[in-house]
Amino acid sequence: MIETAGHLPGLPAGEVAWRTLDFSAWGERVQVRVPELTAAQAGALAGHVREQARTYLRTLPVAQIVATLDAAIARLLDRDDPWRRRAEAVLPIVTGYDRESVRLGLSGYLRSFRAPQLQRFLAEDFANPAVLDGFQPAMKGGFTRAQGPQLLLHIWAGNVPGLSLWSLICGVLVKAGTVGKVASAEPLLAGWFAQILAEIDPQLGECLAVVWWKGGDAEAERAWLNQADTIVAYGGNDALAAIRERVPVTARFLPHGHRIGFGLIGAEALDTRRAGPLARLVAQDVARWEQQGCYSPQMLFVARGGAVSPREFAERVSQELGALSLRHPRRALCVAEAAGVAAWRSREEMRGFDEDGTVVLGEAGDGWSVVFSDAAQPLAPSALNRTLKIVAVDSLDAVPALVSPSRAYLQTAAVAASPRELFRIAALLGDAGVTRICGFGAMAAPEAGWHNDGRFNLLDLVRLTEIEQSAERAADDLAPYVD
Amino acid sequence: MTQSEIIEALLAFIDQDDASEAAFERMALAVFAYQFAHNAPYRRFAIQRGRTTLTVRSWRDIPAVPISAFKTLTLSCTPPEAAERIFMTSGTTQGGVRGKSHHPTMAVWSRSMLVNFRRRFMAGRERIAMGILFPDDVAMPNSSLAHYLALAKQECGTPDSEGFIGADGLDLPRLIAALERAQESGEPYALLGASFSFVHLLDALAAQGRRFALPEGSRILDTGGFKGQSREMTPDAFYDALSAALGVPREACINMYGMTELSTQFYDNGNAVCPPVKSGPHWIRSRVVDPVSGRDLPEGVTGVLVHHDLAHFNCASAILTEDAGVMVEGGFRLLGRVDGADSKGCSVAVEEFLRAARG
Repeated sequence: MIETAGHLPGLPAGEVAWRTLDFSAWGERVQVRVPELTAAQAGALAGHVREQARTYLRTLPVAQIVATLDAAIARLLDRDDPWRRRAEAVLPIVTGYDRESVRLGLSGYLRSFRAPQLQRFLAEDFANPAVLDGFQPAMKGGFTRAQGPQLLLHIWAGNVPGLSLWSLICGVLVKAGTVGKVASAEPLLAGWFAQILAEIDPQLGECLAVVWWKGGDAEAERAWLNQADTIVAYGGNDALAAIRERVPVTARFLPHGHRIGFGLIGAEALDTRRAGPLARLVAQDVARWEQQGCYSPQMLFVARGGAVSPREFAERVSQELGALSLRHPRRALCVAEAAGVAAWRSREEMRGFDEDGTVVLGEAGDGWSVVFSDAAQPLAPSALNRTLKIVAVDSLDAVPALVSPSRAYLQTAAVAASPRELFRIAALLGDAGVTRICGFGAMAAPEAGWHNDGRFNLLDLVRLTEIEQSAERAADDLAPYVD
Repeated sequence: MTQSEIIEALLAFIDQDDASEAAFERMALAVFAYQFAHNAPYRRFAIQRGRTTLTVRSWRDIPAVPISAFKTLTLSCTPPEAAERIFMTSGTTQGGVRGKSHHPTMAVWSRSMLVNFRRRFMAGRERIAMGILFPDDVAMPNSSLAHYLALAKQECGTPDSEGFIGADGLDLPRLIAALERAQESGEPYALLGASFSFVHLLDALAAQGRRFALPEGSRILDTGGFKGQSREMTPDAFYDALSAALGVPREACINMYGMTELSTQFYDNGNAVCPPVKSGPHWIRSRVVDPVSGRDLPEGVTGVLVHHDLAHFNCASAILTEDAGVMVEGGFRLLGRVDGADSKGCSVAVEEFLRAARG
């Protein structure tokens, strides 16, 4: 199977050099051709996208953009649509995630971008989304208009299918000429989405491009960074620091670094009736995208004092992960990942020799690993790929101090607690640096309009043009009908 | 077996010319039984893995200790304070925590090192003039490499052999003088040391525009990689540069692969082609495993290396390394360290987190 990644409006495919990336999983292989553009081609493409966005995308009412995006998402949600069938066939081979996980994950995720949800994105950031279409009266007086970047560059990372769509769609909503650089680990979905948009509205398809260069290729990266006025970048802090160094000082840089998620379970959630279903939800959050998502849990803090003890709860989570691995086997790990899992497990095993309270559950060869610690421990990453540490605490009040040293990496925390506890603990977690608090089972599915990393999806992208009252008054003096 | 019995048996085993699979297995099971009886943390580890002297039937069943365990556990069959020598890792990973190997006697370690070194590096010579690019074992008493090189110099070097790394680093003028003498003498010369020291030497020679053509039969032994102590070079660039700067062909550039957690070293037969096949003597055997399950992988499939070194009798003979490798005809190819992967997505992984924590 051969797939071609990218979307290059205005560039004849025959003039582009292509490199082939090989993927194999689940006994199948796929070759993905990715474009390698010359500096001249990159410059021409940037110019084309910028110009097309200026003359077309910027003239569209935001409501029409929402309708077009909705139509494109509908095709990806329709399991009979050829694009959707292609995604279901190819993405498991490219990313290694099992077919059912890809199918369920895509459907759950794409739902966030249907028309009503897109309106939520708009409403979250703009009291009056019409500011994207024209000048609107401002509260302080005068008028305000919000304009997206002329050229918005996305640098995506990672193999979680569709992660790219979040920022891509936000950029299109603010009418930005858009160039996205796909990750080598999942180079396809963003380009497909661009092509679907082009099928629905060919002129809109001219306003966005999907490109590729080898991550860290400073020269290719610089060519694009110099073209963009806003850059959204995903990746580890080292990669982001390297990009930031090359971003022109006049451009806006919006980085999204790697994050560590965790969960908190209060004693009230641990009665014999609730503990089972809760353990199942925890296992689902752990297994979704093999914990590669920024929102994925890597550690769980469980309060003592419930009918089900933290240790028993850890065993239930382990059982649920076992059951889940039958239906959704873990993706095949590369040597480095497997070594990481083994090293994490054996470190915990060794710890168990020294301290009585640490227990490694399950067998080394299992497709998951749960470690239980009876002593409170600060938040630290697991080995991902369905590895979870469950730590007992006397009360959830102990947790903020255990997570706050990792402040720079915090984002999502799932909480199972009574309403009063939820709000009390949420305030403490917010102080510690947590920006998203959700229920178990929803960690990997942020709701539409979620403020990623506590920032504004759309507002961070735009620039406001304001007509002050003085200009309005001065204009009045110059009106032909002035007395 | 008692300690003296096991030492005697091992010295005799090393002195054999070779060992069959069955002979290795007999010795390996005896060493395992000794360690299981006398090394309490290792026994706990083995039991946790469901492996005891009753269930282990083949050397491949002997549970391999991850080398990180040498950092947290004292893996010694004898009281650690009674050790003749303690070798420690450099502590470059895991925030300065150093893995330790205790040696109640250096007799087995030294026999293992010398028999193998003569066979694999000396190429039939009794002695050769040596230049050592590493501190001596007085400066670094806990470094197994310093001890290895000191032993090599003492037992296999000519009297004019010398070390060139002192308290102030590389003594370049003295080394250049030695290389000039070697070049004029027409007698083969051997340079041995840490890979990163060779990079420093290469850079210094390049800066001075110096090149040497060491006499035929000269050899180079590098080991240990660059470890952030010098710039990184690809193996091909490294051996090309060595060959060009010193006039030693790549076939005579031997890379030694050794570990603090072993008492035996692996060698290749030159680095004309990289990565070369590495192999060890008859008292060490290697496997390539899936690190998660610990199961053997077939020849040609990349996994993580496990070594069974009978000479490491006082600690744990079977160790799970952090090195990727692949079994091939005649040995294995070493494919670099497996540091644990960075996240494939956007969740923070252990390595990045630790890097940040270290600052």
